[in-house]
Order: sequence, then C-alpha cells, then structure tokens
Amino acid sequence: MKRHLTTTAALALMATGLGSAAFAEAHGGYTIGISNTVQGNGWREEMVCAMKAQALVSGQVDSLNIAHRNTDAAGQLEDIRNLIQAGVDAIVINPSNADGVNAAIEEAIAAGIVVVAVDQAVTAEGAYILSNNQEEYAYLGASWLFEELGGSGSVVYMRGAAGAGADNDRDAGFQRALAEHPGIEVVHEVFTGWQQDQGKQQILDYLSTGLPVDGVWTSGIDNVIVDAFIESDVPLVPIVGADNAGFVGQLASVEGFTGAAVTNPGSIGGAGVTLALQILGGEMPASNTVLVDPSIWANNDPEGIALIEAAQNPNLDPEWPVSVMIPGWTTYSMDEIIACAGPGE
Amino acid sequence: MSRIVARHGWTLGLLAILVLLFAFTKVIQPNFGPTGLDSLSRATLPFAFATAAMAIVVIAGGIDLSVASMMAVAGVTTAVMMDGAGTGMTLFTVVAVLVIGLGMGAINGALIVVTRVPDIVVTLAMLFVWEGVALLILKAPGGAATPWLREIIVGPFLVPWLPKSFVFLVVCLAVVWIPLRRSRLGLSIYAIGSDELAAYRSGIAIGRTRIIAYALCGLFAAMGGLTLTMSTGNGEPIPGPYLMASVAAVVLGGVVLGGGKGALLGPIIAVFILRLVRMDLTLMSVDPNVTTIVEGTIMVVVVMIGGVLAMRGRRQ
Repeated sequence: MKRHLTTTAALALMATGLGSAAFAEAHGGYTIGISNTVQGNGWREEMVCAMKAQALVSGQVDSLNIAHRNTDAAGQLEDIRNLIQAGVDAIVINPSNADGVNAAIEEAIAAGIVVVAVDQAVTAEGAYILSNNQEEYAYLGASWLFEELGGSGSVVYMRGAAGAGADNDRDAGFQRALAEHPGIEVVHEVFTGWQQDQGKQQILDYLSTGLPVDGVWTSGIDNVIVDAFIESDVPLVPIVGADNAGFVGQLASVEGFTGAAVTNPGSIGGAGVTLALQILGGEMPASNTVLVDPSIWANNDPEGIALIEAAQNPNLDPEWPVSVMIPGWTTYSMDEIIACAGPGE
Repeated sequence: MSRIVARHGWTLGLLAILVLLFAFTKVIQPNFGPTGLDSLSRATLPFAFATAAMAIVVIAGGIDLSVASMMAVAGVTTAVMMDGAGTGMTLFTVVAVLVIGLGMGAINGALIVVTRVPDIVVTLAMLFVWEGVALLILKAPGGAATPWLREIIVGPFLVPWLPKSFVFLVVCLAVVWIPLRRSRLGLSIYAIGSDELAAYRSGIAIGRTRIIAYALCGLFAAMGGLTLTMSTGNGEPIPGPYLMASVAAVVLGGVVLGGGKGALLGPIIAVFILRLVRMDLTLMSVDPNVTTIVEGTIMVVVVMIGGVLAMRGRRQ
C-alpha cells in the first residue's frame, strides 16, 4: 500500500513537473490567450504564427497562452475557460462555430477580458469580430469559374468539412453563383474535410471514372487537385483554389493551366492580436465587426498575373496562404512570421 | 482495511494523483477556486459520459468505436427538437433522446450478436453510419437548447466549491450504475466479459446481455450528447474527440481491455485527471504541440506502472 502511494505520488509530480520549465515568469505587460480548434492545417498554422509574430513585434505582450488542438465547440469552451483561469488580458479565438462558444466568451467578458474572434463570427454580445467574408469567398471564385466556362458545363464541387460553419457559409455563396448560371451542372460534390490527401484521392477516383469535368471549384484544397490532373494525364480544366503558396506557384508555372486563387488571409490572426491590443490600450474600433473581403487573382488577366507574380515566395510552406500580411493590421516581416516565434520563445 | 485497499488500490492511486494535481494547480495559479472547479467540472461532462459508455461495453468484453458519433446524433437531435421548445417539449426531448441512445446502442449490439462480425468492425462501420445520420439531421452547427435546461449545469450547488455540473454527473451515472451493479444483469455483464463460456454454462443469455450492455453504452452516449448541447447551446454534427479520450480514460481508470474487470469510479477519476492536466498545461502556457505529447506520455506511464504493480502483485 505504502509503495503504491509513493509510486503514484512520484508519478504525479513527474507528470506535472514536465511543463514547468515553460511556465512563464510573471512580469508586466499583457498576456494574451489564443484558442484554435484545428491543428495541422496550413491555413490555421499560418494564423497561429501570425498571432505569435504580431505579439512579438508589438512589444506589448509578455506571454502568449495558446490552446491549439483539434476539438469541438465543447472543447473550445474548456480552453476559453482555462484561459480565463490563467488570468489573461485578452483572448483571440477562431471560433468553432458562431453560437457554440458564446457561454465562455460571455464569462470572459464578464471577467474583464477583451475577446476578439477572427476568421469566423460569433454572436456573443461584447465580442469583437475580425472575419473573412466566407460567403463572398465562394461566390467570387465560383462566378469566375462559371464565366470562364461560358455559362455551361460540368463542374466538380470540392467542399470543406461537412457541418463546419465556414463550409456552410461558402456553400451559400457557391449556390448563389450557381443560381445565376443555370447552364452549369454540378456533376460531383464531395467533402475534402480540408485534408490534402483526402481531396487528392477523391479527385483521382473521379478522374478514373472518365466522367466529364469542365471545371473544379475547391474550398482551398487546391494544389493537389492540379497535381492529380497532371498525374492522371487528364487535360487540365479551369480550377479555383485559395491563395495557398503551392497553388499560386502552379498558377504561375504550370503550362496550359487556367485558374484563379481567391484570397483568404490566415494572417487575420495577427490582425486579431493588433485589434485586441488596440482595445486594451483604450482605442475602440468604430464597429464591433470588421469584415475582410476577399479578392480574386486569375492567371488569365494581366492584373491577376501581376499579383500572382508578386506573391511568389519559395520560402513559404506550400499549404500556407501567400497573403501573410494585412496592411494596416500586421507589422511583422516575412522572416518573422516564417520563424513563428512568440514572446519569450 | 487492507482488503479494501487491495481491491481498490488502482482507484485510490488515481485519487491520490488527482489530489496532488489539485494541489499543484493551486500552487501555479493561487487564484484557482470555485470558478476554476466549475470550469473543470463542466469540461469533464461530455468526456465523463463518453467514458462511462465505453467502460460498460469494455467490461462486457467488447468495444464501441461509435461512441462519439452516437453523441453527435444525440446532440443534434436535442438541438433540433429543443429549438424554441417549451417546458413540456423540453422534457419530452430529454426522454426521447435517451430512448434514441438506448436504441442506437441496441442496434450496435444486435448487429454484433446476430451477424457475429467482430465488435470492432461493426462499431467502426456504425461510427460512419451514426456520423452520417447526425449530418442528415443537421448539416451545420445549429438548433438551440432550452435556456433553463442549460442553467442546470451552471454555477455552484449549495456550497461555493461544489459545481452543479458535478452533482448532475454523479446523479446521472449513479441512477444507471448503482442499480445495475447490484442486479443480476450487472453480474451477467461482468461474467460475459470475464469468461464467455463459463457465463454460458452458468445459464446467462450471452446475446441478450451483450445487446443490453451496448444499449446502456448508447444511453450514456446520449447523456453525453445532451450535455454537449446543454453546454454549447447548439448541436454540432461533426463528432468531437471523445472516442480516443474515452478509451484512454477507461484504460487509465483500471478497466481491463479484455473485459470483466473494473468499474465506473476509476475511469471517471481518470477523466478528471486528464482534464486537470489539460488545464494545468494551459495555465503554464506550455507549447500546444507539446501538450498532446505530455498527455499521451502520462497515460502510457501510468498504465505501464499499473502493469508492473499488477505483475508484482501476482508474483507475491
């Protein structure tokens, strides 16, 4: 019995001692909490790195407290509440959905913590929102694709994750564009789950059937789709993707390929940190909600080509969006975001 | 005294770890108090029910990989039915969702018993089936939970340091588990997990017992789904990370994966330990990519030490 207890005690101490080296020393300046519920996705990793880099260059943040894992809204409630317990001054979150984490956001606001939601909106009163316009994102790309096809043809519709809020908003935009182009037929609709391997397998499966495809709309799983066409020796068709480095590279370099990238900056995370710091400094924004509208870069018009050329950066991870900075909101350099180091790291 | 310790050594050990963790939390965050306990307790709810669901089938010698998907079905059903519901409809929804949970579990169990396909295969397939069902009910996060129902798990109960959500958890688990543990059925569930042939020879209806064990698993999963919707205020069709977490807590809680051994208390304490570790890692602002490694390491180390202790115990 005695041995039993001493072993478990030693074990517990060892387990809990593991992280204490990283335990930030308490000193002045702000502590900012971050909550994100998708891990291992290029877009989200860029978002987190933008948050770290912006916190570092701002000089006002002593430490970042990052809860970054794959979980659901209930898990995000837990993370936000843990951040409240940690006594942070502000929390920047990418919400798992618009209503599901309101309870914890309201508790945070009641505790005097500034809450900024980036990328997707939340409905909690008193929270600040800095969001990409997801419906417009899909509408812009789909409209370009349908125009490119001359208003008629067979389109493969490769969505994000079933049941995700952003996917739902994008679907609304896609359907709006589809309704304006009655000659377009969606011949195949799949959920890539925003996973590269899954999306590639799905398009390979479709291509091997030999069924017609005149264009592909993707929800950001894009460069692997172009690869799949090339590997299957199927003539390339117009493809819409996001401004991920790999895809933007293909737009510039793959011969005979027409496509368009719609911007969806992951660096919105850095902008969220800036907004939180402004509010902490007493500088209130005019409105609680700031929407960032996307733009489209097509490689068949001179303006688009110029943007695509300017965005080429071999140092970026191919899954990272190339729009690594948002003028007026982020102040870090390219090297700083790629280094992905926060205060105290 | 020593007999009790010998029988419940694992659970007592877990309890000691939990107490030490609480002390450690208080050291690194001196402000940790009633609100912290409340946060922790609310965070454990879905995990605790998922773990109870998994524990009961593991004790019966099986496994259910569709636990998280069943929780999603229960969660979205709750959210859709409760959207704008009055008191009567809310109560009806709770009962209906629990019955649906029993039904889903019974279907899993019946498929295993009737087709004789291994449980791991059947429930893996059903993981996708229930996931699809949840998406058919609600294709994106939506619906609502009745406000007064949500309040049931918010704040303290009688004294500041006792969260309502903890009382809720204990009551829900006890209502099912205590009568079951004392009944012939409960004994049968342990028996088929321990030695199916011996159980058969003692006159236990193996198939029926197994189906009931899976049905109870579905019932706990439905409770988990209910608490998900109660805490978030809406339904999410994509299953959360409850499958692996429940297996981890069950193993950490001293339930033997082969079946026949263990109870509910150990796994539930294990759930609290895992959530508290997560909280401490956040409080210490440990690199998020390291936290999962730490969580996994703790689990392996604890189970390994448990194995060594068990081996020594056998030798003596």
